[in-house]
Amino acid sequence: MALLKGTLDVLVLKTLSWTPMHAFEITSWLESRSTGRLVIDDAALLQALHRMEERKLIVADWGVTKNGRRARYYRLTPPGRAHLRAESERLVDHFEALTTVLATKKV
Amino acid sequence: MRRFDFLPGVRRLFRLPLRNTTAIHADIDEELESFLASRVDSLMTRGMSYDDARHEAVRHLGASIDHVRDQLHHSAELRERRMQFHEHLEDLAQDIRYAARGLVRRPAFTAVAVLTLAIGIGATTAIFSAVNVLLLRPLPVARPGELMRVSLSTPEVGQRKSIRDMVWSYPKATSFRASQQVFSSVSLYTWTQITITSGDVELIRGETVSATYFRTLGLAPSRGRDFALDVDAHAGAAPQAILSDALWQRRYNADPDIVGKIIDLDRKPYTIIGVAPQGFKGLTGQGELFTPITARSAADLSEAQSHEFFMVARRAPGVDEAQAEAAVAVLGKRINDLYPDQFVNNAPWGAAAHPLDAARVAPLIRRSLLVLFAAVGFVLLIACVNVANLLLGRASARRREIAVRLAIGAGRGRLVRLLLTESVLLSLIGAAGSIVVAWVGIRLLSGVNPATLPVQRGAGLGAVTFSSISLDWMALAFTLGVALVVGVFFGLAPALHATRASLADAMKEGGSGADNVRGSHAAVGRRLLVVAEVALALVLLAGSGLMIRSLTKLLAIDPGFDARNLLTTRLTIPPGGLSRDSLPGFYSQLTERLGALPGVTNVGLAACAPLGGGCNQTLIELKDRPKVEPARQPLVGVHWVTSDFFAAARVPLKRGRLFTTADRVGAPKVLLINETAARAFWPNEDPIGKRVGIGQGGFSDGAEVIGIVGDVRQVQDSAAKPDTYISYYQSPRAGMMVFIRTVRNPSALGGDVRRALHDLAPQFPVYDMQPMTERAASATAQARFSAVLLGLFAATALSLAVVGIYGVMSLAVTARTREIGIRIALGADQRRVQRLVVGEGLALVSVGAAIGLAGALLSTRVLQSLLFDLTASDPFTYVSILILLGGAALVASWLPARRASRVDPVVALRGD
Repeated sequence: MALLKGTLDVLVLKTLSWTPMHAFEITSWLESRSTGRLVIDDAALLQALHRMEERKLIVADWGVTKNGRRARYYRLTPPGRAHLRAESERLVDHFEALTTVLATKKV
Repeated sequence: MRRFDFLPGVRRLFRLPLRNTTAIHADIDEELESFLASRVDSLMTRGMSYDDARHEAVRHLGASIDHVRDQLHHSAELRERRMQFHEHLEDLAQDIRYAARGLVRRPAFTAVAVLTLAIGIGATTAIFSAVNVLLLRPLPVARPGELMRVSLSTPEVGQRKSIRDMVWSYPKATSFRASQQVFSSVSLYTWTQITITSGDVELIRGETVSATYFRTLGLAPSRGRDFALDVDAHAGAAPQAILSDALWQRRYNADPDIVGKIIDLDRKPYTIIGVAPQGFKGLTGQGELFTPITARSAADLSEAQSHEFFMVARRAPGVDEAQAEAAVAVLGKRINDLYPDQFVNNAPWGAAAHPLDAARVAPLIRRSLLVLFAAVGFVLLIACVNVANLLLGRASARRREIAVRLAIGAGRGRLVRLLLTESVLLSLIGAAGSIVVAWVGIRLLSGVNPATLPVQRGAGLGAVTFSSISLDWMALAFTLGVALVVGVFFGLAPALHATRASLADAMKEGGSGADNVRGSHAAVGRRLLVVAEVALALVLLAGSGLMIRSLTKLLAIDPGFDARNLLTTRLTIPPGGLSRDSLPGFYSQLTERLGALPGVTNVGLAACAPLGGGCNQTLIELKDRPKVEPARQPLVGVHWVTSDFFAAARVPLKRGRLFTTADRVGAPKVLLINETAARAFWPNEDPIGKRVGIGQGGFSDGAEVIGIVGDVRQVQDSAAKPDTYISYYQSPRAGMMVFIRTVRNPSALGGDVRRALHDLAPQFPVYDMQPMTERAASATAQARFSAVLLGLFAATALSLAVVGIYGVMSLAVTARTREIGIRIALGADQRRVQRLVVGEGLALVSVGAAIGLAGALLSTRVLQSLLFDLTASDPFTYVSILILLGGAALVASWLPARRASRVDPVVALRGD
C-alpha cells in the first residue's frame, strides 16, 4: 500500500520510540504490528531514515546485530520525540475525520 | 553489545572534513548490504535456501539493486553537501562574532581605524564626484568630442588687452559659415533676457540661436519640431520659439497641446513649435527658451562691428582638430580683410577654434579642482598608511595568541580565515562610514551656491553646474575597493607572517612580542610610515594655509562701500514698456515709494552692482589734452547712477559735489569721477571743472567733472580702476538696479519691496533680489570654496597624522614597558620618562616635517596663480604650520608619555 511521505516518517519514529533498531528491524516490526497490512518499500524506508537523520530527528550509530552483523542502529532524539507526538496527533485527527465522513451511511 | 563509533565526534572537534564521497558511498553500500543480509537471514529461518532468500530479498527492494544504490548515493551526497554548507556558514558566523567581539574589546583601535577609512575614502569619493562632473564627464550632447568653439581674437592695442575668445557679429559669422569647409554644422548662439508678456509677466533667460543649433549639438526637440533650416536664410523670419522642458513643465504644466500655441515675448507674438529635450538648457546652461536669431530685424543683424554671438561647430568626418584649427585661422584672416577694425589700423583680428570640452571650466576653477584632487589623494594615502600602521601594530601584539592557537591544533587556514574576517569586517564598517561621509561631502559641495562661482559664460560649463553633483557610483565602488584592499592586505600580510612563527619565539619576548622592539623590521616600518604621514600632512597644511591666508587678504580689501543692510534688486523695462522721456519720472516715483517703506533710509539707483564685474567700460577723452587716437584712449568704467546711490552704498564724496535735480536731460552734461581716475589723469591738478568726453550715454562731446567720489571695487581681487559716473536723469536707461539701505535686516524687507514695486508697475518684472552682502560674497566664492575645502583636508590630514603618531608612540610604550619599569626602579623620575617618550615622538615628527617642508615648498609653486598678494613660500604661513604641527605632535606623544610615566615598576618587571 502506498503511503504518504509524512506518514512513513511518523511510523518510523513510532517504531523507534520503543527501542533503537536498524533498518530491517524497523520494517519487520511495522509489518508484524500491522499484521501484514503495511508493507514498506525498502528504498523508501532507507531514504526516509537518512532524511530524518539529516533533520536531526534520529541519530544513527554503527552497531552489531544479534547475528554478529554490522548494522546501522537508529534512535530517537528529543526533537524526534516531539515531532512524533505532534505529527501522530495530527495524523490520527486527520484519519478520524476521514473515517467519520466515509462512515456516514446513506439514509 | 553495540559499539558506538566515536570517530565522527572526534573528527568534528578538530574540524576535519567529515566524510568524503568514497566514505559516504561505502557507508550506504554497507547499510544496504546489511539490510539485505538481515532479510536473507530472516527468510532463511523460515526455511528458504540461501540463493532463494537472496533472490527474494533483492526482489523485495522493488527495483534493481544498482538503481536503489545509486538513488541512495545521490541523496546522501546532496545531504552531505548541504550539511557542509551549513557548517561553513556556522563557522563564518562564529568568525564574524569573534571578530566583532575583538573589535569591540578595543574600542580605540576600532574607532580610529574606522574613522580613518571613512574620512579618507568618503572625502576621496566626494571630491572625485565633483571633479568628475565638472571636468571629466562629457556634455549632454551627441559626440561632444567633435564639437569646437570658434571665436574671434583681437590683438592688444594700447590699453585694450587682446581677447582670445571674442564673440561674433552676425555678418562676420555669416561670411565664415559660407566659406568654411571643415565643419559639418555650424551654429551661433547667445543668451538673452526675454520678458513673457502674455499671461503672467515674467522675465526669463533664453537663448537666441541659429536654426542649426539643435542639429549641431546632435539633439532634437522632444515634442514638436526643430527650426526649419531655411529660417536662417534671411532676417525677419517668422517668430518661432522652442521651449525648454523646464519652462514647459513649470509654466504650462506640461500641456500636451503646447505646440502651435502663441506666446508673447517682449510684446511680440511667437509660435511655439517644439519643446527641447529634458535637462537641456542650452550651452549657456540658462536657456529657458530658444528663439531664432533671424527673428530679429535685418537692421539689427547687419552691423558688422556689433559682436554678440558665440559659435559652436561640429567637425566634419575626417577632419581632425589640427586641420580645423588651421582652417579657422586662415578664414579668420579673410574675415578680417572683409570687415577690418574701424578704429585701429594694423591691428588685425583673427579667429581660432578650440575643443568645446577644453573651454568647459574656467582655468582657475580647473586648477583649483585639480589641486583639491591631489590633496584628496594625499589624504587617502595618509588614511591608508594609518590603517596599515594600526593593523600591523595589532597583529604584532597578537603574535603570542596566534602561536598558542597554532600549538593547540588550530588549522593554519582556519586561523588565516579568522584574521581575514577581522580585516574585512573592519574594512566593511569603514566602508559603510565612508558612504556616509561621502554623502555628506557631496551635499556640502553641491551646496556651494552654484550660481556664485565664476563660470565662463557660453563655454559649455553652463550645461553642468555644481548642483548636479551627485554621488558617483563608480567612484564609490573604486574607493570601497581601496578600503577592502587596504584592510585585507594590511590585516592579512602580518597574519600570514605571524602564523608562520614558532611558538617558542613568540612566547619568549614578554607581552607584545618581538615586533615592537626597537630596530625590528616591523617597528622600523611603522616609524617610517609615521614619518611619511607627517610629511604628507605638512604638504597639505602648507597648501591650505596659503589658500586661507590668501583668502583673508582678499577679504580684507576695502571694497569702498558698505555692503551691510543694503538690499539690491533689479528692475527691467521691456522694450516699448516706457518711452525714454518718461523713464526719469517713473524712477523718481519708484524711489519715493520705496523710500516711504518703514526702515528704509536711502534708495539709490545704479546700472550695475559693485563687485559684480558686469559694469560697462568705455573710452575717455580728456578734452584739455591733445587729441589721442581713439584706440589709444584710456579705458574707464562708466556707471549710470542717481545721487542717492552714493548715500545708499555709503560711498564718500571727496571733493566737489554730487548730482542734483538740476542735472537732467537738457542741462549741461556733468560727470563724477573716482579717486583713481583723478590720480591717473590729473595727478597734479584739480580735476574739478575739467571737461572730458566719454564714449557712452551721448557724452562724447564733453561733460564737466563736478566731483570726486571714493573708489569702489568692481572686482575684488585687483587694484581699483578709474570710474566715471553719469547722472541717471541726464541719460536715462531702462534697466536699473535699485539699492535700498535699511536699518533692519535687508532680507526682511524683500516682501515689502516686491509689493511696492508690484503696486507701482506690475508689468515690469522684478528679479535678482539679494542683500548686497550676498553679492559681495559671490565675488569671493571661488577663493572661499578652495580655501574651505583645502582647509578641511588639511585638518583631516593633521588629525590623521596625530592619530598615527599617537598609535606608534602608544605601541612603543607598551613594548618598552619593561625597560621603562627598570628605569623608574633605578630612580628615573616621571618627568624624565615623559621627556623620553615625547622626545622620541618629536624626533619622528621632525624628520617628517623636514621632508614635508621640502615637498611643500616644491609643490605649492603650483598654487601661485591662485594666491592673492602672497608668495607660495610665505614664511609666516610656514612658521605657523610648523608650530601647529609641533604642537599636535606634542599632544599626540604626551598621552602615551603620561602612561609611560605611570608605569608601576613592580608590575612591569614582574609580569608581561
